[in-house]
Amino acid sequence: MATPILSVRDLHTQFFTDDGVVQAVDGVSFDLFPGETLGIVGESGCGKSMTALSIMRLVPEPGRITTGEVRFRGEDLLKKSPEEMREIRGRDIAMIFQDPQSSLNPVLQTGYQVEEAMLVHDKVPKEKAAERTIALLKQVRIPAAERRVKDFPHQLSGGMRQRAMIAMGLSNTPALLIADEPTTALDVTVQAQILELLEDLNREIDTSIVMITHNLGVVAGLCTRVIVMYAGRIVEEGPVERIFDNPQHPYTWALLRSIPRIDASRHERLRSIEGLPPDLIRPPRGCRFHPRCPFRVERCFTDDPVLEDVGPEQRAACWVTMKRAYEEMGARELVDVSPGSASGVHSAAKDG
Amino acid sequence: MAEPARRLEPAGTAAEPLVRVENLVKHFGAGLLTSVKAVDGVSFEIREGETLGLVGESGCGKSTLGRLITQLIPATSGTVSFGDVELTKLRGEKLRQQRRQLQMIFQDPYGSLDPRMTVGDIIAEPLDNYGIVRGRARATRIQELLRVVGLNPYFNNRYPHEFSGGQRQRIGIARALALNPRLIVCDEAISALDVSIQAQVINLLEDLQREFELTYLFIAHDLSVVRHISDRVMVMYLGKIVEIADSAEIYESPKHPYTKALLSAIPVPDPKIQRNRRLVELSGEIPSPINPPSGCRFHTRCPIARVPGICADTEPPLEMKAPDHVAACHFSDEVALVTAPAE
Ligand SMILES: Nc1ncnc2c1ncn2[C@@H]1O[C@H](COP(=O)(O)OP(=O)(O)OP(=O)(O)O)[C@@H](O)[C@H]1O
Ligand SMILES: Nc1ncnc2c1ncn2[C@@H]1O[C@H](COP(=O)(O)OP(=O)(O)OP(=O)(O)O)[C@@H](O)[C@H]1O
Ligand code: SF4
Ligand SMILES: [Mg+2]
Ligand SMILES: [Mg+2]
Repeated sequence: MATPILSVRDLHTQFFTDDGVVQAVDGVSFDLFPGETLGIVGESGCGKSMTALSIMRLVPEPGRITTGEVRFRGEDLLKKSPEEMREIRGRDIAMIFQDPQSSLNPVLQTGYQVEEAMLVHDKVPKEKAAERTIALLKQVRIPAAERRVKDFPHQLSGGMRQRAMIAMGLSNTPALLIADEPTTALDVTVQAQILELLEDLNREIDTSIVMITHNLGVVAGLCTRVIVMYAGRIVEEGPVERIFDNPQHPYTWALLRSIPRIDASRHERLRSIEGLPPDLIRPPRGCRFHPRCPFRVERCFTDDPVLEDVGPEQRAACWVTMKRAYEEMGARELVDVSPGSASGVHSAAKDG
Repeated sequence: MAEPARRLEPAGTAAEPLVRVENLVKHFGAGLLTSVKAVDGVSFEIREGETLGLVGESGCGKSTLGRLITQLIPATSGTVSFGDVELTKLRGEKLRQQRRQLQMIFQDPYGSLDPRMTVGDIIAEPLDNYGIVRGRARATRIQELLRVVGLNPYFNNRYPHEFSGGQRQRIGIARALALNPRLIVCDEAISALDVSIQAQVINLLEDLQREFELTYLFIAHDLSVVRHISDRVMVMYLGKIVEIADSAEIYESPKHPYTKALLSAIPVPDPKIQRNRRLVELSGEIPSPINPPSGCRFHTRCPIARVPGICADTEPPLEMKAPDHVAACHFSDEVALVTAPAE
């Protein structure tokens, strides 16, 4: 078995606020193998970006990585000095940020910024940088790139800014690329071209990719393995086909059935997961999903489930799992996904 | 007294235009003698109570059009009317009073929220601007709005940087709803949300629409979402409108080759299908709005263009191709024959 290029172990990242401690990342562990494309999906606010920023050691104040390990090529990044991290960032590990302000300075010309990103690591000779910048902007399909390099970020459309950030991320051909929602502002044709570009990078120079996205179509097309997060934790992981065809965690299942179908009629109401997202300062006891889970049983209110094998290379953290929900609780016929709505074995268990 | 005395008739409003846009143009200066033709002569209506979806290639002018309609930026030429008021003529206080009815949810959830304000103040800012509610009622309204968009009501004292991308987007939605506007321009308003919260927000937007007769201009890249929420869909390409039709109709029988290409590229959330799919790639570089192609602006990438010929020479007019279905293509009859390369 190959050794992973990235290996995250029991990562905890917390925010120390006046209201209390926000457990943004709460014991996340996973491996990424060379050349692999890993998708991370999950509810808005569940800790995906903070997991990525923790790997980059860029967690903002008042946040802190409290425990854990982030091994990159065998070395723990959490033990590196700030200088060593600056070297690694951008050169070996690049990140495309969800927040354009973390990478694009509003008062500097876009092209200059892409060039700078390249020159920090002198992988590219200075006289080649301008030329390469234009080539990169063309690669990400920015029209009239020669002129656009002079534009300030606010003169670009939302999708052009996003593509400029992608160009920056690719500029040093990193060994590991973390892309946080890189295609939200792109139309489907440009998106398809960008995804192809990432696939080429992945195929030709073996870049490993962590792809954080809400677009499950993108996950389906690009990723080989998927991690599903909920409330700061991984609740399910497995090969992409297994996750889409045979999800075992009720959250994954409920998420997938919320996808609007292109053939659905106009007046059909969309399905969603009932209830509010969990409070990460005072997360629910037991399984964190239990207040919203249609299949919960008594045990879910009190005991915290851990990731266990539920199929080939597939693991889920659930006391019930969908196999049982299908067999015993009529999951297939369930229309309404409200808390405790399944005709479960112990669905009588009282609410909170 | 230019203040409108008349309101739109409530009866039979379904087909009444709420917004009428005529020959609207926005050019941004780009160096000496050149300009970015972001919106380049568009005319259309938004009907009262409808949701008009707006889709198109990144950079084609959608956000600019949204900003023009909500009067956030001045037009280079052309008019925008709201009911029977011509907004593009108004200035000062009169414009301010009208603008209350027009809200925009911005595309970038990071740049559009003032980092020094608490979430409560951000949401209440429009209310404060118009001096609408104070004290206890203000606090109650903030909490109500937070709950409506699925955020914890006690988040009101936090600052934007304490929120994730999707949470910030919902703050922007709450702010747009605060004044009970009549038109909301939703610019990629749900793109940073997971599909379940997306569904929740869409259901909410639809409920609000029914309850308050809201009208939406809904800009989005996710075509399944657009199809679900829109009554009609408008497609833009490089500063121009190329097609407008009823939403079911446009998905079933597009009359412009660009629309067809766009529809064929929708990613399918199924790994078995998506992996092996051959996309209809639009050949050629994306042209620049600084120097748009002659004739039909799509002719440099169009699979059925006659070049040299009419497509490169003459701009096709936006004309009726079927009932309530307009498109700008010289050969719209052939669009149905355009197919993806063999699977
Ligand atoms: N500065 C901060 N102070 C307090 N809490 C914070 C801060 N920054 C982030 N959080 C919280 O940490 C949690 C995780 O945030 P994160 O940005 O990782 O979410 P995400 O999964 O990326 O969501 P999205 O899909 O919406 O981008 C969120 O619940 C958020 O409210
Ligand atoms: N303030 C500005 N100054 C100069 N050019 C601008 C300005 N705002 C927008 N543009 C240009 O106008 C064109 C249209 O931009 P707009 O933001 O409307 O596109 P869009 O359709 O919303 O794209 P996206 O889907 O990527 O958000 C682009 O070429 C953009 O660079
Ligand atoms: S007018 Fe010609 S170039 Fe334009 S879309 Fe139609 S066929 Fe293509
Ligand atoms: Mg995020
Ligand atoms: Mg835009």
